[in-house]
Amino acid sequence: MGKTILKCENLNKKFGKKQILKNVSFEMQEGDILGFIGPNGAGKTTTIKLILGLQNITEGKVRINDFDVEKQFTKAIKKVGAIVENPDLYMYLSGNENLRLIANLYQGIDQTRINEVVRLVKLENRIHDKVSKYSLGMRQRLGIAQAILHRPNLLILDEPTNGLDPEGIKEMRELLIDLAQKEKMAILISSHNLAELDNFCNKVCIIKNGQIIETSDLSRIKKEAGKNFKLLEVEDSKKVQKLFPEAIIINKNQIKIQLEKEQIPELIQKLVENQIKIYEVKTEEKSLEQAFFEKTGGNVIE
Amino acid sequence: MNRLIKNELTKIFKKKNLYITLMVILAFVILTNCIYKFFYHTGSYDEYTDKYIEYAKEELVKLDPNKPSDTKMYIEMKTQIDVYDLSQKYEKNSWQRSVLSAQVSSYVNQKNTYLYGENKDPEKVTEIEKELNEIIEKLDRGDWKYFAQKEFEQAKTTCRELEEQKAKTEDKQELQSLEIAIKNAKIDQEVAEIRISKDIIYGNDFRNTALGSYQAESKNIINMESEIQELDYKGKQTYNKSLEKREISQYILENNVDINKTNDLRGILKDIFSEYGLFIIVMIVMIAGTIVSEEFNKGTIKLLLVKPYTRNKILFAKFATVLIMIMFSIFAVVAMEIIVGGVIFGLDSLSVPILQYNFTTGNLETLNVFEFLGIQILTQLPKMILLATLAFACSTLFTNSAVAIALPLLGFMSADTINLLVIQFKVQFMRIFVSMNWNFEEYLYGNLPKMEGMTFGFSVVICLLYWVVMFIPTFIAFQKKNIKNI
Repeated sequence: MGKTILKCENLNKKFGKKQILKNVSFEMQEGDILGFIGPNGAGKTTTIKLILGLQNITEGKVRINDFDVEKQFTKAIKKVGAIVENPDLYMYLSGNENLRLIANLYQGIDQTRINEVVRLVKLENRIHDKVSKYSLGMRQRLGIAQAILHRPNLLILDEPTNGLDPEGIKEMRELLIDLAQKEKMAILISSHNLAELDNFCNKVCIIKNGQIIETSDLSRIKKEAGKNFKLLEVEDSKKVQKLFPEAIIINKNQIKIQLEKEQIPELIQKLVENQIKIYEVKTEEKSLEQAFFEKTGGNVIE
Repeated sequence: MNRLIKNELTKIFKKKNLYITLMVILAFVILTNCIYKFFYHTGSYDEYTDKYIEYAKEELVKLDPNKPSDTKMYIEMKTQIDVYDLSQKYEKNSWQRSVLSAQVSSYVNQKNTYLYGENKDPEKVTEIEKELNEIIEKLDRGDWKYFAQKEFEQAKTTCRELEEQKAKTEDKQELQSLEIAIKNAKIDQEVAEIRISKDIIYGNDFRNTALGSYQAESKNIINMESEIQELDYKGKQTYNKSLEKREISQYILENNVDINKTNDLRGILKDIFSEYGLFIIVMIVMIAGTIVSEEFNKGTIKLLLVKPYTRNKILFAKFATVLIMIMFSIFAVVAMEIIVGGVIFGLDSLSVPILQYNFTTGNLETLNVFEFLGIQILTQLPKMILLATLAFACSTLFTNSAVAIALPLLGFMSADTINLLVIQFKVQFMRIFVSMNWNFEEYLYGNLPKMEGMTFGFSVVICLLYWVVMFIPTFIAFQKKNIKNI
C-alpha cells in the first residue's frame, strides 16, 4: 500500500435544510485511479468542490497530503490539479497564454515544462491559436494540461472524456494510466460515461443521493454482478426456448442461457439436430454500467 | 501576490474591450481638439441679429409714436434699428461695433427721445446730431483713444461730482453709499487709464475680457466689502471667487498673457477632468465591474480558487490591479490629449503657467502645467477609487457585471445634481454624503468648501468610512462564498 493522498472523513454538506451529502468517506493512495460514479444529482460534483475548498464543509474533514483543506488550504491545494465541471479557460487567450497564466502561479514552471505538457496532451500544433477556436475535445485536453502542469500528486477530473472522440478517449486513458503509474499520481475521475471507466479504474466509489453505497475494487463489483450467461443469436428464439425452458428470451433472434463453457458444443449440437439456425454464441460481458445500475437501482433525485 | 497581479494585468490587456474603449476615447479626444481648433469663436458683438432687426422694422411700421402707449416702445426699437444701421458700415468684430453698442447708443436714444417723445425739441435734436456726426467721424478715422479718453473724463467728472456731494451731506447712510459710488467711479477711471496706457483697443480679445472682468469684479468686491459682516456663506464664496478673478485679470493685464485661454493644448489639459472625466470613469468602472464577476460568469474563478493562494490574496490582487488600472486610465487619457493636442495646437502653450489664487496669503501662485495636472489627479483620485471600489464590490457581491457597471455610473452622474440640491437647500445632515466629500480640489489654496463647517479632515474621514464600508464586507463575502454550479 502506498502513501495515503486523499482522505475524506464523514463529509456532510447542507444547503439550508437540504442535506446534499451524508457521511461521505473514502481514501485514495498513490497510483490509485478512482472512478467516482453516481447518477445526476447524487453529489459527485459537490464532493469534488468540498475536496477543493470551493464550498464550505458543513461537517467532516478533507485531508490532502496530510493537510486539512479548511485550515491549511494553500498547503493542501499545492499539489492538486483539477478540472471541475468544464475546463475553465480564458477564451480570448491562446492555449499557450492560458498555460502561462497557470505557470505564473507556481514556482519553477518554465516554458520547457509547458512545452512538455503540451506534447503530452498532443496540442503542439494548435497551442498558439485562441482557445475560442478550439473544439470541445481540444479544450478538454488543454484543461488536463492546465491541471497537470505543476506536477500534482492528486488529479481530480470531473467528466474528463466529455466531448472527446473515441481516439481521444483512448489517448486520454493511456495518458492517465501513464501518469498514475510513472508519477504515482492519484487520480479521481467522475464520469457518466461508465464504459470509459470500466477499463482503467482500479477502484470504484458509487454514490447515490449523497451517500456512498459501495467502495471497492472494480473486479470485485463486476464479479458479484456478473453471472455466467451465454448470449445466442439464432433464427427463432422461441424454438430455442422450447428446447431449453430455462433460457431467457431477449428478442426474436436473441436469447441467453446460463451455461458453463464445456456445455456449449452440446448446445450447438442440439440446435443443429433440431434444425434451428445458429449464428453466434458469446459470453455476456457484465459491464460497469450494468453493475452500476444494479447497485443504484436507477436514478432518483431527491 | 505579484504573480497574481501580473496575471490579472495580462488578462485585462489581452482583452479587446480595453482597446475598443481606448479607441472610442481617442476618437472623442480628436473630435474635441478639432472642435476647439476649427470651430471655436467668442461671441460676436452684434447686439442684434439681422433677423431681429427685420422683425423690429416690421413692428415699427405698426407702432404710432404719437400714441402715448406706443411711444416708449417706438423709441426703443427705432434706436435699436438706428444703431444697427450705423454699425453696418464697419467690419464684423471691429472695435467700432463694440463702441457703438457700448457708448454711442445712448446718443441715438436721446436723439430719438427728442424726436418722437412727449417733449419734442428740434433744437436739441440738431445739437445731438452734430455730436453724433463728430463721433461717427472719429469712428471712421479709427481714433479709439478718443473714446477711451472720453470714458476717462466721464469717470473723472462723476468722481468729482460725487466728492462734492459727499462734502455737503452729513447723513451717515448716504455718506456710506456715496463713498461706494466714488470707489466705483474710481475703478471706471482706473480701467480707462489702463486701456490708454496699455494700448488696449476696444474689441473682445482676451485683454478686453480681462479688463472687463477686472472692472466688474473690482466693483463686486467694493460692494461686498461694504457689508462684509452681513455676508452669508454663499456670499463669502462669491466674494472669494471675485477676489480670484480680479487677481487673475490683473495678472493678465500686467503680463499680457492669455491665462484663461481654453482653445489650446494647455487650456484643454487644464480642464481635462471636466472634458474627459466621464470617459476615465467609464473605463475604470468597466474594469472594476467585470474583474471578479466575469470570472464567476465564465467559471474561471474555480481555476483561480484551486491555486495555492488564499481567497483574500486573490481578491486583494484584483483590487490592486484595479488601482493600477485607474492610474493607467488617467495617464492614457492625459497622454492621448498631449499627443492629439500637440499635433493639432502645437506644444507652445505648455510654457504658459497656470495661476492659483491662494486665499490664505492673498497671492497668486504660479504652477507649470504638469505640476497643476499632478495636483488635479491627486484631488480626483479619491472619487475614482471610491467609484471603482463600488463597482468592485458590486462585481464581487452580485457577480453581475451589468449591475456592477451601471450602479457606479449612475452614482457618478447623479452626484452633481445631489450636491447642487444639498447646497441649495442647506441640507445639513447630507454633508456626510460621499459625493459632497470626494472632491478635494476645493480644500486647496484656502478655498471655502461647498458647505459651511466642512473641513479637509472631515472629508478624509468620510471618504475612508465609505471605502471601508464597501471594502471589508466584500472581502468577508468572498471569503465565505460557496462556488455554485456554473
